[in-house]
Amino acid sequence: MNNNYPEGAQLQQFLKRRRQKGILWRSLFLLATTLGVLVLMVLLLTIINDSFGYVAIQYKIEPETLLLQHHKNRVLEAPLTETSEDDDYLATRIGAQEHAVGFFSMAYYQAHADALRPLSIEGIAPTADAIASGEYLLSRPLFLVTTVEALQQRGPTAFFTGYYLDQVNQLVEALGYVRAPDQALRQSMEDWQRSTGLTPDTVRENLQLRPSDSLTMVGSSTLMPLTQAMVKRLRQDGVSLPISVTDGGTATGLQALCEGAADIALASRPLQWEELQSCQRNHLTPIAFRIATDGIVVVVNQNNGWVDDLTKAEVQLLFTDARHWSDVRPTWPSQPVSRWVPGPDSGTLDVFVTRVFGDDLQAQPQETLIALLETHVSKGVLRRFEKEQPLNTRSHEELYQLVVERVLKPTILETWSLYDSIVHREQIDAFLAQAPQAELEFRRWVTWDFITSPQSSRPEFAGVRTAILGSLWVVLITLLFSVPVGVGAAIYLEEYGSGNWLDQLIENNINNLAGVPSIIYGMLGLAVFVRALEPLTSGALFGLTDPTTANGRTILAAGLTLGLLILPIIIINAREAIRAVPRAFREASYALGATKWQTIWYHVLPNAIPGILTGSILAISRAFGETAPLVVIGASTAIFVDPSGPFSKFTTLPIQIYQWTARPQAAFQNLAAAAIIVLLVLLLALNAAAVLLRNKYQRSY
Amino acid sequence: MHAPIDLATNLKKQRRWGETLIQGLLFTFAALSILTTVGIVLVLLSQAWHFFARPEVSLLAFFTDSKWQPQIGRFGIFVLINATLLTSIIAMLVALPLGMMIAIYLSEYATPRVRSILKPVLEILAGIPTVVYGYFALTFMTPILQQLLGRDVVEVFNVASAGIVIGILILPLITSMAEDALSAVPYALREAAYGLGATRLETALKIVTPAAMSGLTAAFIVAISRAIGETMIVAIAAGAGPRNFNSWGEALHNLAMFNPFKAAETMTGHIVRISGGDISYESIDYDSLFAIGLTLFIITFVLNLLSRRIVRRFREVY
Repeated sequence: MNNNYPEGAQLQQFLKRRRQKGILWRSLFLLATTLGVLVLMVLLLTIINDSFGYVAIQYKIEPETLLLQHHKNRVLEAPLTETSEDDDYLATRIGAQEHAVGFFSMAYYQAHADALRPLSIEGIAPTADAIASGEYLLSRPLFLVTTVEALQQRGPTAFFTGYYLDQVNQLVEALGYVRAPDQALRQSMEDWQRSTGLTPDTVRENLQLRPSDSLTMVGSSTLMPLTQAMVKRLRQDGVSLPISVTDGGTATGLQALCEGAADIALASRPLQWEELQSCQRNHLTPIAFRIATDGIVVVVNQNNGWVDDLTKAEVQLLFTDARHWSDVRPTWPSQPVSRWVPGPDSGTLDVFVTRVFGDDLQAQPQETLIALLETHVSKGVLRRFEKEQPLNTRSHEELYQLVVERVLKPTILETWSLYDSIVHREQIDAFLAQAPQAELEFRRWVTWDFITSPQSSRPEFAGVRTAILGSLWVVLITLLFSVPVGVGAAIYLEEYGSGNWLDQLIENNINNLAGVPSIIYGMLGLAVFVRALEPLTSGALFGLTDPTTANGRTILAAGLTLGLLILPIIIINAREAIRAVPRAFREASYALGATKWQTIWYHVLPNAIPGILTGSILAISRAFGETAPLVVIGASTAIFVDPSGPFSKFTTLPIQIYQWTARPQAAFQNLAAAAIIVLLVLLLALNAAAVLLRNKYQRSY
Repeated sequence: MHAPIDLATNLKKQRRWGETLIQGLLFTFAALSILTTVGIVLVLLSQAWHFFARPEVSLLAFFTDSKWQPQIGRFGIFVLINATLLTSIIAMLVALPLGMMIAIYLSEYATPRVRSILKPVLEILAGIPTVVYGYFALTFMTPILQQLLGRDVVEVFNVASAGIVIGILILPLITSMAEDALSAVPYALREAAYGLGATRLETALKIVTPAAMSGLTAAFIVAISRAIGETMIVAIAAGAGPRNFNSWGEALHNLAMFNPFKAAETMTGHIVRISGGDISYESIDYDSLFAIGLTLFIITFVLNLLSRRIVRRFREVY
């Protein structure tokens, strides 16, 4: 009788197993739910991950180089300016002319001290201390530059550089230079020892001088006195190595070094990127040794009694635009200024220009930015800018952006996601090692610029403004079309419907339509709105065609198609809202003698509006995110002007995301992520509005 | 003082033109939906007719050819349908178990507080546009699959990541419809089961779920229909070209046509790709799109009818 029902121990077993099964399945259900929530978080995190990160940018021209070129030209081409690579010549000429002014290295000043007078800049005189400490504006380091390969050969190059480093402090002060900081000199010594594998004491023994050996040195005239003195000392020490020393400017010297024409370059400034690259191309690794410090003195003739101290701005004016001394300070005489400056290859000129005019592009005054645009941008483009808004009325920020966009021409080489940027730095470092001209920048891809810039085919400048405006226009048309029609249809079905076969058909129809894939609506829109109704949608009927498009692929067609798409949803929603209004309201209204339409308009609708509104907002947010139907209708792929009305070409935010995601370059993935954030924020706002409305007007009857 | 109203006047006979006008207007609005359906059917049929009427296209080849390559005049739709089915099946494999479990949890186990957190989360998932899911599939799902199974197994564009993400897309749909169906089962049934000593699990699986079967089946079919019609995820992540084979033998060799880790274009993906480019209105490419569209429409229409018939037939009236 009790065969099927377990008893005793079996019963306990049975119960235990049942309970275990219950716990197992319950945890499974819980796991599934957590998985669901996890998926959402992962989705959002992925998008955030791609919207922040490091970016490797390469500029066509480095901003510092751009500025240096620009200001150098201003100085060299100023009126009444003479140049020479020979500082001695400059000093002599200034000493001979009462209204002359110029600049060169402190060492040359010493040699002509009787005919010249140095000036203070910003109140600081060019004393040895001021130069050594860097307080003086124009103090700069001096270098010997050679190649690691030459040093490793332990030949004359290694010998001479070691000797130089060893002996330099005994010569500098007497010649008018300033010592290099002890730390720097020690560092140079250590670098030299590491490259050659020798110490200064052992260098003589290891020196292998062959009879054919010679040493060629080219470079800055600033270093001439020091180097010539060093060679003389070497001779006094009994070394008869043939050495040739030529001036010609730091640039000439470094170029000769990198081409193999010189063993050592004399430099009065650090290497620039282009020079480093040129060396690397010839498989040479340059190495620079700091040997001394020098000050560039601005000198006037000793008979010049009116000037003692100059501000930076006055220095700028004095060497570029001023034609007469009184142009700088009205109290000065109105004699013409005669300028003597080092030539274009001179490192002295480079340092002077960099210190006096600055090398931060963003800090430059507006006139400089405008001048840069005028020099580097083609005439046609300039004219277009002027027509849009004259350059001198634009803000500093705008001009800076223009210069960056049109002159510096940054190109994004590679981007990294936030996770990679933080955790996988070695990947980034490896990339930078093989692309040294690239700059690293941490970028937030969603910026105000991103939202307000129009579409562009270059990821550096692309923005979503065109897409957002297109989306807003399309959704507006959708709204204007589908909400009245949808609500009207719902009113008919609920209030006037008689349940006959026609109304049943309509109801079934609407339920069917809600399940049709959105792309089918796109094809419907293509055939009907774009092709068949082309005169209407292109605006030809109204004579309002957009000049850039003569066909029906317009915002109007897109809006109507999306309107058809969300119509079933709006109808179903509105019906629910209308149905929720209690019958009592209607009956009371009829009892007072109102007609059907009066009842609907004055009683039913006002009470149903909150529900209708909520449903419509949700439907609109669905339309906002639709992509497939609009692609089929023919959203434009390359559109750079904002839509001007219902008859313009269009693109929308989701379509923009689709296009960017489909491109292979890494930067476009980041742009797509940023656009997704914008889209989600907009949708969130819409949905939040719907929820707020629902909560506010929720009334139970 | 007004003159008294002559009660003999028959107010009913008073014609109100405004009322009739408004009623007519509202009727046209409602009838617009019929117009839409008629429009869809007409457009698809007529353009598809254009397509099949061409001499180089045969109806038989349309269904039996193993290639879809318009450039050489091969129009076998089955490769596209195959890809669509693959993505949809993968999507259902992901979404159905997960969705059912979440729905059972929500309706049978969850406290009101948990429900109040979970339901908005599901609503948020449901509101995310499909392009975002497409982006997710390409930038997250595919690399994960490649890491798990190796780059030589999983191509950059593959059916599996699109399928899985479509599954995530329809998950909220299944969950909410299933949960509605389960909640609609009257509590009395559950109480009866508890009264007889059933555990919560047994009640949920053996009593409530079968009772809600019509709603669950409807949910299942609606979800599949949505998965089939999904466009953007497959357009971004599944591939930009149909998985063609020279013959059915080659297709079945090593089950190559069922490999989910290689690229394959679905019906919807193909339509989007072709219409996104330059296409002239009289070309065979244009017409072929509508043939595909017609097939798609028929499939989803049939599924829709099926779901409503099942719901009507098996609906338990309590």
